[in-house]
Formats: sequence, C-alpha cells, structure tokens
Amino acid sequence: MNTLTIGNEIMIQNRRSLFSALLRSTLLTAALVSTQTACGQKLTPDRERELIAVLRSNAADNEKAMTCKKLALEGTGEAVQELASLLKDEKLASWARIALEAIPGKAADEALVKASYSLQGKLLIGVINSIGVRRDAAAVDSLKIRLLDKDSDVASAAAVALGRIGNSNSALFLTELLGTAPANVRSAVAEGLVVCAARFQSEGKNADAIKIYDNVRTADVPKQRVLEATRGAILARNLDGIPLLLEQLRAPEKTMFQIGLSTARELMGREVDQSLAAELDKAAPERAALIIYAMADRSTVDMPAILKAAKVGQPTVRLAAINALGMVGNVSCVPVLLDIAGEPESELSKAAKSTLAEMKDAGVNNAIAERLPKAEGKMVATLIEIVGLRRIEATQELIKALNNPDKGVRGAAFMALGNTVPPPQLNVLIEQVVTPKRAEDLEAAILSLKTAAIRMPDQEDCAAKLSGASNTATASTKVALLEIIGAVGGKKALETIEQAAKTDDAQLKDVSSKLLGEWMTIDAAPVLLNLAKTGPADKYQVRALKGYIRIARQFVKNESEKAAMFSNAFESARQPAEQKLVIDNLKAFPSIETLKVAVRIAQTPELKEEASQAAIAIAEDKKFAGKPEEAKDILAKAGIVKPK
Amino acid sequence: MSKIVPKFQRRSFLKSSLATAGAAVMAPTIIPSSALGRDGAVAPSERVVVGGIGIGGRGTYDLGCFMEQKDVQFVAVCDIKEARRVAVKKIIDDKNGNQDCAMIKDFRELLDNKGIDAVLIATGPNWHATAAMTAAKAGKDMYCEKPCTKNIAQSLILAETMRRTGRVFQAGTQRRNLPHFAFACELARSGKLGKLKKVFAHPAGMQAMMSGWLIPETEPNKDVVDWDMYLGPAAWRPFHSALLDGFNFEKGGGFVGALNVENGRKIMGGGVLEWGSHCVDLCQWAVGDCPPPVEYNAPKDGELVARYENGVELIFREKGWIPLGSCPVRFEGETGWVEAGDSGKLVLSSPELLAGRTVQEIGGYPATFHVRDFLDCVKTRGQTKGNADAACNAHIACHAANIALLLNRQVKYDLAKQEFINDEQANRLRSEALREPWRL
Repeated sequence: MNTLTIGNEIMIQNRRSLFSALLRSTLLTAALVSTQTACGQKLTPDRERELIAVLRSNAADNEKAMTCKKLALEGTGEAVQELASLLKDEKLASWARIALEAIPGKAADEALVKASYSLQGKLLIGVINSIGVRRDAAAVDSLKIRLLDKDSDVASAAAVALGRIGNSNSALFLTELLGTAPANVRSAVAEGLVVCAARFQSEGKNADAIKIYDNVRTADVPKQRVLEATRGAILARNLDGIPLLLEQLRAPEKTMFQIGLSTARELMGREVDQSLAAELDKAAPERAALIIYAMADRSTVDMPAILKAAKVGQPTVRLAAINALGMVGNVSCVPVLLDIAGEPESELSKAAKSTLAEMKDAGVNNAIAERLPKAEGKMVATLIEIVGLRRIEATQELIKALNNPDKGVRGAAFMALGNTVPPPQLNVLIEQVVTPKRAEDLEAAILSLKTAAIRMPDQEDCAAKLSGASNTATASTKVALLEIIGAVGGKKALETIEQAAKTDDAQLKDVSSKLLGEWMTIDAAPVLLNLAKTGPADKYQVRALKGYIRIARQFVKNESEKAAMFSNAFESARQPAEQKLVIDNLKAFPSIETLKVAVRIAQTPELKEEASQAAIAIAEDKKFAGKPEEAKDILAKAGIVKPK
Repeated sequence: MSKIVPKFQRRSFLKSSLATAGAAVMAPTIIPSSALGRDGAVAPSERVVVGGIGIGGRGTYDLGCFMEQKDVQFVAVCDIKEARRVAVKKIIDDKNGNQDCAMIKDFRELLDNKGIDAVLIATGPNWHATAAMTAAKAGKDMYCEKPCTKNIAQSLILAETMRRTGRVFQAGTQRRNLPHFAFACELARSGKLGKLKKVFAHPAGMQAMMSGWLIPETEPNKDVVDWDMYLGPAAWRPFHSALLDGFNFEKGGGFVGALNVENGRKIMGGGVLEWGSHCVDLCQWAVGDCPPPVEYNAPKDGELVARYENGVELIFREKGWIPLGSCPVRFEGETGWVEAGDSGKLVLSSPELLAGRTVQEIGGYPATFHVRDFLDCVKTRGQTKGNADAACNAHIACHAANIALLLNRQVKYDLAKQEFINDEQANRLRSEALREPWRL
C-alpha cells in the first residue's frame, strides 16, 4: 500500500491503482487548503466566508467534510447555520457535528437544539449526543421531551445527555422517569442518573448524590447500573458508607461482592481498614482471601490483621495474606514468615520464601543476616535461600555453609554464593569446581560459578582467573570451565577458547568450536576464519566456517564488509555443501557487492550454474541495494543471462 | 472537562518482576491448588469466560496469550468481517477441541451475553474507546488494545467510566509486565538513577496531520464486511479496502492522525500515538504515573520536548538510540541512566545498578504476563498495571504532543482544568464528535 500526501491531506491507495489514484485524488482534494498552513493562524473573516461558501455550494461531499474539519478548528458562530444545514445529511451530519461540538458559543447550542426538533432516528441521536457533550443546560427542557420519544434509542440518548448536563433539573426529570420508563430505556435513565450523581458528588453535593444513588440501586434496572449506584452510594457517604460496603462483601451475589471489593480499595479511612479486618473472620475463606488483597491495595494498611491471617487458619486465606505481605510487609513480619517458610514444603512455605525475598523494607536484609549464624536445623537452608534471593552480603557465612554436612544446606549456599559472591572471593567457587571436596556438589558448584562469573563487573579479570584455573583442571572440569568462560565473554575468553580449539583434544575442540560458533561479538570473526582456513577438514572446521558466516549475517551491517566476509568464507569452504551455503547467503543480502562475489564464484566451472542463478536472483531481488543498470552491466560483462 | 481524580493505590498482588527476577519459579499464584481439580483443571467457579471483539493480527497474538491460561474459557468471537470470524473461531475451536465458539457480527450482541465475564478488544484504534466504554457499561471487564483513545476527551472519559462502572481495564501496554522494562522503570522511580531529569520515548514517526477521505470503492455485501459498523464512531466516508486494515485506519474523522516516515515508508496510523502509547506509557511509569506533562514544545531536530510539572522532561526522540530493538526508552537521572528496548536487553550507566543481577537474568518477553495480570485482577478486582488511569495519562501526553506537532508550536496544559491554557485552537482539538448513534 502507498500513501499519497497532497498538502497535508492523505489519500491511500493500493499499489495496483496508484497512478489512477494520483489523478483522481488530485481532483478530489484540489479545493482543499492545507490545514497545516492554517494551523496556528487566526482564521480571517474572509477565509471563513470562503469555507462557508463551500458548504453552501454543490461541492463534493469529501470537500464539504474537510471544510467541516477546518471550521471545527477555527470556525465561529458565523459558520453555524451552514453547518447545521448538514445535520440532515446522512453522510455529512457527523462531519458537521465535529465542527458544531467544537465551536464555542450559544449559536452552536441553539442550532443543535433546533435540529433536535426536526430530526429523527440516528441523526437525531447524534444531535442529542452532541448536546450532551456540550452540556448545554438550556437544552434540558427539549431533552425532557425526547425522554418520552417512542424511539427507545432516542429516549436513551436523551437520558444520557441529561445525565451529562448534570444539573438539578436533569436529575429531577430522570428521577421521575426511573420507575416508569420502558424497560429498554431504563438502563440509560439509570446511567444518566449515576453520571449526574457523580457530578453532584464532585461538586460536594453528597446528600443529593446519595439520594440519586439510592434510588437507582433499589430500582428495577440492569445489574450493572445497580453496581455503579452501589459504589457511588458507598463513596458518597464516606465513613458512613462502611455498613453498605460490608453489606456488599456479605452479599450472596458474586457481582455485588466484587463491587464491594473494588470499592473497598477506594473508600478512605482507618475505620475502613478495621472493618475489613473484622470481616476476615466472618467471610468464607475464598472471600476472605480476596478481601485481604483489597486490604493490601489500600493506602492505609492494617498490617497486623494481615499478619495474623498469615499465621493460622484456612490455607486459602493464609496464602493470600502471605502474598499480600510481599507488597506491604516489613521487617516485623520476618519471624512469622520464616516460621512458615520453615514448614514442610508446601504452597504456603514457597509463598513465604517468595514474600521474604520480595519485601521492600531494607531492614529485612539485616534481620535475615543476623539470624543466619545462630540458625539451626532446617532454618539454615531456608535462611541461606533467602540470602541468595535477596542478594544479602553474607559471604563468610555462606562459605562456611559449604562444609555443612547437610547436602541441602550446601546446595542452598552454592546458589546463594552464585548470586552474591563479590569479585575477591570468586576464587572460592573456582576452587570448589577445580578441586571439589565432595563429588556430589560439583554440579551445584559449576552452576554457582557460572552464575557468579557472568555478573562479575570486570569481565577480563574474571576470564583470566577462570583461564588460569583451567590449566590445572581435569579434562572434564576444563570443559565446564570453558563453557563458563564462553558465557563470560570478552577478549581473554575468546583467546582462551581459541587456544582450546587448536588443541588435539577432541573434547576441548568440540566444546570450544561450539562456543565460538555461538559467539555474540564480531571479534570472533578472524578467529573463526583462521580455524576454517587452517584446521583439518573435519566437523570443527565446518562449525568454524558456519560460525564465521553467522557473524557476517548477524553483526556486519556494511554491505562491502559483509560481501568480503562471504567471499572469505567461500575461499575457506572445502565441501560443495559449504560452498552452496555461501551462495545461499549471498542471495539473502542482495547488493552490488554480493552480486560481484556471486559473479566471481560463477567463474568456477562446477559452480557456474548455481552461482549464475544466484547472481540473477540478487540483481532481480526487490530489496536489491544498488543501481539496476550497474547490476545489468556486471551480469552482461560476466556473460550471465537469464534463461528464457 | 472532568478532572482526573487520583484513584486508589495499586499494589499488584503478583510478585513484582523486579523482585522475582531470578526467583520466578517461586512466584505463587492466587489460585491455591485446592481450587484445582485432580488433573490440574481449573474449577468452573475460577474460570474467566472471555469473548473477542475484532481479532486481527495483533488480536490473534493476544488471543494466544489468553488461550494459554488454564482458567480462561474463550467462548465467542465477534467481527464485522466474515473471514475473520471464521478464522478466529477455528483457532479457538481447535484449541478447545470442540465447535462451540460462537460467531457474532455485532459486538453489542456479544456484550448482552450474561455468561461472558470479560472481552478482548483488538479492533482497529477507531473502535477501541467506544467498544471499551460500551463493554464497561454492559458489565464486562476488558483487555483493550492500544492506542485506547483518539483524543484527550476520550482518555478522560475512559478513566472516569472505568472508575464509575467498577470494571477492570487492561490497556494493551504489555511492556508494563515485561521484567526488563519494569526493572528500568523501577530504577527511575526509586531514585537509583539520582534525581530524575529526563525520560525519552521513541515515537517512531513525528508528523501529525488531519485525516482525509479516500477514493470510493464498491462496498461489499454486509455479510462479508459491514462497512457502516466498521466505520462505527468515525465520521462517514465511502468504503475503501485500504481502510479495512484497522492499523492503518485514520483516527476516525480525526483531527490528529499521524504519519510514520521511518525507513522511507509512509504509513498512516503510526506516529506519536501508535508507539507513544507504549513508550510514553513506560516513561509515565518511570515518573511514578504522575499526571501528564504540562508543556509541549514544537518539534525541533527530530525531538519534541515536553515538561512535567516537577521539571522532568519527556523527550520524544526519533534518533540517537542504542540499538536495543523497537520501543526503546531511556531514563536519565543526576547520577545514572538506563536504556531498554524490545530486544529484552538493558544498557546501564553502571553495572552497579544491576545490584548483582545480570541483564539476561532480569529477562524480557513473553507478553503473557500482561494477560495474566488482567485475569488475576478480574478475580481480585484490583488494578491492572495498564489500568485506565495510567492509560489516560499516557494517552493525554501523546495527544497533547500530537497537537503541538500539528500546530507546530508550544502548547501548555492545565492539569486541574484538563485544558490548554489560553489556546482555543488546541482546546478544540481535545475532542471530536462521534458519528451517530455512537456515544461514550
């Protein structure tokens, strides 16, 4: 698809009809004045008269539509009459109302009211909607008439417009109708009343608002209107709304309970917190759990009540309370949460650990760290786990725990050290990998070292330490260390892995060629090329070649450099499959440079056909980055022609 | 215009992505195992019954996120395009292993279904606000794709309506639930970058303009495409197939559309609002979801500088980004900065800001978290991360910036009155009449 910009008006056409669209669009928009130029400038009376004349003329609909928009931005009462004349036009009425809703002053108000007397159906509804948007208080009597319209959609529109106007008269008219309106209008009447009441409430007229809300919530209206009125009735009463709030939380109907939950978050005051807390003991567990979430969302939180709920009771409620403490809890909650976290593995103990990890209070860190040296039994592993999750500085205690007879404690300590060990103590983990005290801990030690190594701030220093350690490590440990070095990355890491790739050890060659093949920085390119060129023709050489091509594809933006790398790759390719891979990659990046490489490859007799086809494909590619004439010239000189 | 009343605090009951980075396996759910059946199936009382409105390309992605959730029962699809109705029904039926998904043409019929708890609104932007507010009034919670509104007035009414009706609203601003963006915003909000000075958003196209009227084409049969319904609240215009891709649909009869001129291509419907509803939304989050900026300057050298009441600058910037994928944002404080993008990566002024974590560990996509956040809030009645108040503020910032672009001059915004100061032209651009019979 293309877009055409004419002035600053836009015409869109499908590609296939672009040319004809250009012609026609010029005709369609010829009379339009650039709004961009008009913006920011005062519309002169002369210019406004010209625009009004367009509306009055036999101009095409699109021209009149755009004129309406210009008048919406800058028109005055002078334009109202002509705009109003379009309100009976099914195509242009909405355009006219765009202007009429925007133009300030009585003239537009009066024109809309006047139109409301003569229009019917959708056009009338549109006008009524606009009256509502403009909140024209003088229109209340005319809207009152429309409240009784036989067309229920018109009556509904009038009801909502009256609500938007939101004065005492509109409230009166709507209230009168609440009990008597036809069923299909009553919802709109209730909506109008609730909107009206909300305005009263925002103006501080709470008593008036309450009266309306109470009327609506007890009327025979759709449930959603009752919910809205109930919410309003609670909030408009302020603290006196607590009993009504509790009534909802105890209501058998789910929707009433739900409006209670959301309103509980809105009603301010400590008394509300206390009432909600008291409700926890009375509510069914599933409901109590949801009340806890509402309590935690309040700006004033009754934390002791939530803490109490976390300690004992139904699991559903306890789970909610434990989760809620993650949001609102502080250091005072630590003992209770640790007790729960230390319970046998369950949803509750998991939630408690998660909450201990999450609580924002910085004092939690000290509370955990202080307990660790004195901890006994299962609590040791639990505390260490929290230390790791919160990344608390407790290195010495954690190192000590690596010698704990309990495997679970040692595992937790390895995990925590991975997350927390500072650079000077990285050697502790390296040692645990190179000379493990217990074979069963090796896996945890390797994972811990990897976690720690990749977050070390000095990448080169870290890689150097690991590289040094690998010199004395056993063959299998060397492999693990190389994988960690690969994850760390950087110059030293690349150098270490290159050396490993050049050894005769098949295991080291395997891991290092894999790591180089996935290397994420461009500096691996010369290393890979060298291995591809000089290595024996084996799977490692092929990996190096593919890794080199991948770097060219992913990281090299310059077309010439990319093509040069593909050319290098071709020179290093030993097997037809690798040569074909290079040709395929040339096609994927169509440019003059890749075309030249393809043409050059086509000079190799056994690849002539494939490379020639690639050259043609490159030259004809939609994304070809170059001049088509130059491509033609290159192909012609090479004698490559498209088969007929 | 109505004021924005500060709404209640939101403390997501889900563990924040920041805190659970690296500990995701421990994050609990609000549904205890006791609510699950023996086979792990969700009890009927815990299910959220959902219907889809206007499920196109983006909507299909959202639909996938919904269908992944065990507690979702997707039962109906509504579209004015027959081909989409059939295609989406097939996706849903295939997943559910039955033929039960209902196909509906008029979304009001879907909203009348009392068995449906929530709707996924993924129509073109023209319909978002109107459909969302109609859904709220019908008693449905909703996940609504962005941009959610077409102008400032709609943004305010959206927030007001969701508050008044007590419905749960989630804007399709899924980056609020992506850990790496959350982490970056948290750094800015919590003062770890020092006193915040500037937040940068990538609008992906900074040209605003009035929308136009296309060359008429033959209107298809109503069963194939109901053009009148497709236009919905937009001012009338003749049928044109190019407009059927909702993404490129002008903003109704709209005053302020936008043009994306990146990569040498011109695309309608992009610009400040299209991407700003993501990037600016993240900036809003970074500044603590405060009200939108109060001053918007004319664009200069590919930048539009807006200023919050507290002096922090919101800068819409076309170029100068670290290549971190689409939707980049950058937050600068007195002592540090962070930049993040859709690649899931972060670049920071100092590794110390990571507080011992790695960037990989913080993590990025998938966007399923945003749908999960919505569904959990449907149950708890809490505030989603992309709630209507947050969406309102971010959208106002975008609309106001668009107005400054269109007028090509500075505009100042009065937050108390929700109007531009002594600026009738700008004020007239705050709203736009809807085509009959639609109203908000």
